[in-house]
Amino acid sequence: MKFGIFYEISVPRPWENDTEYKVYQNCLEQVRLADELGFDQVWAVEHHFLEEYSHCSAPEVFLTACAAQTKNIRIGRGITVCVPQFNSPIKAAEVAATMDIISGGRLEFGTGRSATWTELGGFSADPDETKKTWDEWTRIIPKMWTEDRFGYEGRAFSMPKRAILPKPYQKPHPPMWVAVTSPGTELDAADRGMGSLGLTFGGFSEQEKKVAEYRRRIKYCTPVGAFVNEAVNSVNFLFCHEDNMYGARTGQRLAGTFNYLAEQLLAARQAYPTRSYPNLGLLPALRREATDSVEGQIPEGLAIGNPDRIVEVIKKWEATGLDRINFLLNAAETVPQAEVLASLRLFAKEVMPKFKDSAATAAATASATAPRTPATAAAGGA
Amino acid sequence: MPLTGTRDLSNILAASAIVPVGKEEHWELPGAQILQLMYEIDDSGMTSLLPPALHPTVPPTVVFTVTRAPESPAGPFVLAQVRVGCRSGARPRGFSAAAYCDSPRATEALRRNWGYPLEVAECSLVKRYDRIDAQVATAAGIVLKLSLMNPEPIGGNDLLYLSTLNVARVERDGIVSGRLVQVDPDYVFRSADRGKPQLEVFDVPAWQLEGARTNWPVSASYAVADVTMPALRYLVDPVKAPLASVERVG
Repeated sequence: MKFGIFYEISVPRPWENDTEYKVYQNCLEQVRLADELGFDQVWAVEHHFLEEYSHCSAPEVFLTACAAQTKNIRIGRGITVCVPQFNSPIKAAEVAATMDIISGGRLEFGTGRSATWTELGGFSADPDETKKTWDEWTRIIPKMWTEDRFGYEGRAFSMPKRAILPKPYQKPHPPMWVAVTSPGTELDAADRGMGSLGLTFGGFSEQEKKVAEYRRRIKYCTPVGAFVNEAVNSVNFLFCHEDNMYGARTGQRLAGTFNYLAEQLLAARQAYPTRSYPNLGLLPALRREATDSVEGQIPEGLAIGNPDRIVEVIKKWEATGLDRINFLLNAAETVPQAEVLASLRLFAKEVMPKFKDSAATAAATASATAPRTPATAAAGGA
Repeated sequence: MPLTGTRDLSNILAASAIVPVGKEEHWELPGAQILQLMYEIDDSGMTSLLPPALHPTVPPTVVFTVTRAPESPAGPFVLAQVRVGCRSGARPRGFSAAAYCDSPRATEALRRNWGYPLEVAECSLVKRYDRIDAQVATAAGIVLKLSLMNPEPIGGNDLLYLSTLNVARVERDGIVSGRLVQVDPDYVFRSADRGKPQLEVFDVPAWQLEGARTNWPVSASYAVADVTMPALRYLVDPVKAPLASVERVG
């Protein structure tokens, strides 16, 4: 089991001149600490126009800053929106390769397609098309990275032969992931040999079935990249405190704030009737997890409370077959920065050692001082 | 935290329907035709259209819904609503301050049972193969005219309808108070279509929505469904903060 942190970068009103600056600085401070503590990865979303909920429209810039200020933590572009109105596949490949170079081979490349009308409508993107363009891009981007000169004639994208530069530092290329919010997308990930970057989580038994099916399917995949990235990543909320009830209350406040902001957004399905978006995406599933519990009890799947409780929760998730969990640490700055940092420290001290991979990572962190070479980066990449 | 509405509903409430809570009838509306268009509106109306109990959506929207019920306990009717997209706490809803119905008998029953802020007007919904048209005309003239162009079949499961919050007064134990009455019908779809929205006339004062300037078409759908009108389950106190405003009834 590996642990990471995950950023939407939510910014509470009122928006003063320096509100966004402070939130970004807090996030960077958390990332630096997470790197020192041995967290394995940091992910940042690409969202646009999502007032308060996410002011993270240029994650490549934020993550490059993270890379420049850290030594070992892997950098998760989570995700690149593979919709032509949002991004160009050429530019996406170029930016990712540059990030991989700047980070010394620490990039994890996530892909997805956006799930809100707020964003799709804002870019005048056709909701019916997004799954198709995502699928096409995931096949061509790794070729852009690995072929000296790349040319292509496709359905939604074509280009004459050109050298797409620079090339990624990791060889053959960074690990590729798919953001999973809609039912069945984890199978799309498996069929393409990509990692499943879960952005929702159901109950333990539901997750176990999904992971098992993913692992069964990926054995027979046709990989879009040069290698198979068999890995299942999930997301959770984290607030760790010596006092279990204080930790749980604070964690529930964090989860509640996150989900409350999320519900104000206009999901694609709520605005535009289409088979392309069979559910509401990330938002309701996370809300259910945060709120569905017997009155007075802590929702069973959330990593909130004291270290013993969090160890117990993560052991259950580990038993479902998850490889990694990424934690949301704050929402709209509802948890003071000092408490977020203390929560990270306590988690690293009391929880991480109970999980083999993390302990190994933490030990490695203590001795590691130099950026990874391409060979070591590829070896530990996925 | 999210923006909240700033609208004072006192004037509308004074003339609103009075709903005796717990006495609503059970209605089935077999084969109802439902035309629905969504538009984004100018952000100048983002908070001014909604009471303090509700959050605006991001972006702000209005939803036009015209329902033709060929059968009901009150006889056939056409009901036209224009609702502001919003959130009651975390729940998606459509806020309705005014609506129209072509049947006096249905108007009276819909006001009494579910608090629809209705007046009688000429309402029509006409299905063609190339377009679906709806219109509402009061004594002052046409107040709504809209169409779905070039309908193409989709699945009923692809549609998602908002529950309505009607501005009304409710009577409980002899006490009358202003509330938003939640109406969340059940739908069993027989067919559904999607097409291009076209809005020709939207007279905002007639819908008590001054400031709702449409600026971007989002979607248009048409469905035939068996609709079950619900028992009242939730009320919203319009002047309270969103998280403190919802009351369970029944």
